[in-house]
Amino acid sequence: MPSSERANLILGLSAVIVGLGIAFVWVPADVDTGLIEKVRRQVAIGDAFAPTIAASFIVLGGSLVALFESPSNARHITPANLGFLAVLLLTIGVSFAIMRYLGPAIAEVLTDDGYRPLRDTVPWKYIGFLAGGAGMIASLISLIEGRLTRRAVLVGLGAAIALVAIYDLPFDDLLLPPNGDV
Amino acid sequence: MGWFDYVWLGILAVFQGPEAFAVLGIAVPITVLMILMGFLIGVAVGATPGLAGPMAMAISLPILISIFGFSPDALLPVMGFLLGVMKGATIGGAVPAILFNTPGTPDAYMTTLDGYAMTKQGKARKALRVAHFSSASGDTFSDIVLILCAPFLAVMVERYLDLPEKTALLILSLAFIAAVIGGSVGKGLISLGLGLLAAYVGTGEDFYPRLSMGSQTLAQGFPIAAVVLGVLILGEVFKSLEDLWRQNRVSGTISVIEQTGDQKLHWADIRGLLPYIARSAFIGTAIGALPGIGSTLAATLGYTSGRAAHARARRGPAFGEGAPEGVAATEAANSSVSGANLIPVLSLGIPGNAAAVFLILATDSIGGFNPGPSVFRFTADVVNPELVIAFGLFTCMMIANLLNWTIGGLFMRSMGFMSRIPKHILLSTVLLLTLTSIYVQETRMAAVWFTVGFGVLGYLMRRLGISPLPFVIAYILGAKLEESARQAFAATGGDALFLFASPVSISFMVLTLLVVTFSLRKSKEVSP
Repeated sequence: MPSSERANLILGLSAVIVGLGIAFVWVPADVDTGLIEKVRRQVAIGDAFAPTIAASFIVLGGSLVALFESPSNARHITPANLGFLAVLLLTIGVSFAIMRYLGPAIAEVLTDDGYRPLRDTVPWKYIGFLAGGAGMIASLISLIEGRLTRRAVLVGLGAAIALVAIYDLPFDDLLLPPNGDV
Repeated sequence: MGWFDYVWLGILAVFQGPEAFAVLGIAVPITVLMILMGFLIGVAVGATPGLAGPMAMAISLPILISIFGFSPDALLPVMGFLLGVMKGATIGGAVPAILFNTPGTPDAYMTTLDGYAMTKQGKARKALRVAHFSSASGDTFSDIVLILCAPFLAVMVERYLDLPEKTALLILSLAFIAAVIGGSVGKGLISLGLGLLAAYVGTGEDFYPRLSMGSQTLAQGFPIAAVVLGVLILGEVFKSLEDLWRQNRVSGTISVIEQTGDQKLHWADIRGLLPYIARSAFIGTAIGALPGIGSTLAATLGYTSGRAAHARARRGPAFGEGAPEGVAATEAANSSVSGANLIPVLSLGIPGNAAAVFLILATDSIGGFNPGPSVFRFTADVVNPELVIAFGLFTCMMIANLLNWTIGGLFMRSMGFMSRIPKHILLSTVLLLTLTSIYVQETRMAAVWFTVGFGVLGYLMRRLGISPLPFVIAYILGAKLEESARQAFAATGGDALFLFASPVSISFMVLTLLVVTFSLRKSKEVSP
């Protein structure tokens, strides 16, 4: 079987399995009312109906892809795609972890009361955002360029400062990350 | 209250709204200022390859809501800004295509064929003038069609469609969107099913929020901005970053071509271009009025029909060799989609493209205006505020068109430098901008993780050739579809065949079947 047809078959069958799993496992286990229910002697559509219809679209679509999809429309995800995605997610995850925990960690070391009372004061409210945000942009630019450059760091810092200027300086009621969670 | 009173109130709502500042004692209304700002930002964004109008709309929405709040008074300034971005980005998209052969959007690809050829012949400024004139003409034409058609269509829907018919119409629209976007019915249906499923998590009428797996976070459902921005913006950013990583520093040096000769657009030029612009404007408007069919198809059809006419006329350079008619045919077609795309939004509440999704997101966030047939309910004794807003929006569109005709060309031609900013720097910045924008709206890290999660879904869908647009549109329409079906089922006394109870709903369901079957056959015929 040509790889394009196999790609369509794999995608189609995966969608069919996912759709059937949603309709026959997830929906019955995680929705309290059925497809149709009786409320005060009147028949009404239950909460399970709409998700089951959604699942049936996925099953129908998967079947069409598996049986009728043109080979020219075949696409597949390669291990290289997943590898890049993993690196990307790791970069975002680490950057947001820095954003979330750097300010509280420094406050824990330098102050008695911790980060919470300081989270709306300068410079504390910017520490995590600037470090994590600039770090994320600099890391991504470096990832694409294949090397860490001063330009990448400066662009990251400049962009993070610009976002502070856009979202925080003019508005008292907006909170930059992570100050709504700490 | 008659028609004219509503139109007049809509105009007054724009011009007599809150004042931004005064120049020489003349008040400048805030809505007009916001349209101007949106338009200028839109042109800049459109002129930047890798960025698109919906990205700017997504990022600016939380800022706008912070400035204007959640009151109905916020609707016109916020929507005016978003409409300005939409229109600005449409004309801005031609800049990199003409100057650097780098189409910022897929529909600008056709513009490169003759636009860049003109640049190589030293006629870049003339090509930009042709693009601007054609784009502004197409856009204005399609707005006029929108203003004339949307109210009548909505009145017809309200008058003739009951609950079962409205449910059938929603099903038809969703099937149409799934079938025509992306060229694969099967993949469109998968996208549609996933979008509906996402809409139903944490909702329902029962005490227990369905499909929440006992989690308090899921019980609140997915934040709408997280879903839409994740799938549409982050998915694209992830994919583009990977593509750039693969290209790995391909040299982007742009040789400077000396621009010589007559760069002006004369009346004789315009007269020659008008038939191409008119033909493409009709094509673009007709395509734009159908939900789900994007400007790329309009640009392709406009260009193809223009090429056929040009070949018959045998005048000037051929299409693809620097014909101004080629630029005009493409730009008029893709620009005339934007206004007509709002016909299904305003008359049916069904978004047809990504820009329309963000307009609906804005009205949903602010409240006080629910796009759909009820907007155009002409009440004689009591003022219908939604109708006033609708005519206010039409006024905003006309102001944006006026800006397009007056300062649009000049501003567009000055934006050439935006094309030189490296794409990976822009995309990395857009990623932080989007995630910050989500956090600012939701103020919890969970929303950021949801957005990243939906970004991964958007990335995987793109890699698998599944269009994310049916997902987003199904997500937005999911609740409406379920509510309408529930009401129709109850109203017909629990008739399981309520979708087949009237000739109108039967015809909608038959059309649904035909659309899916025809698209399935067509995609098989297209395959080699």
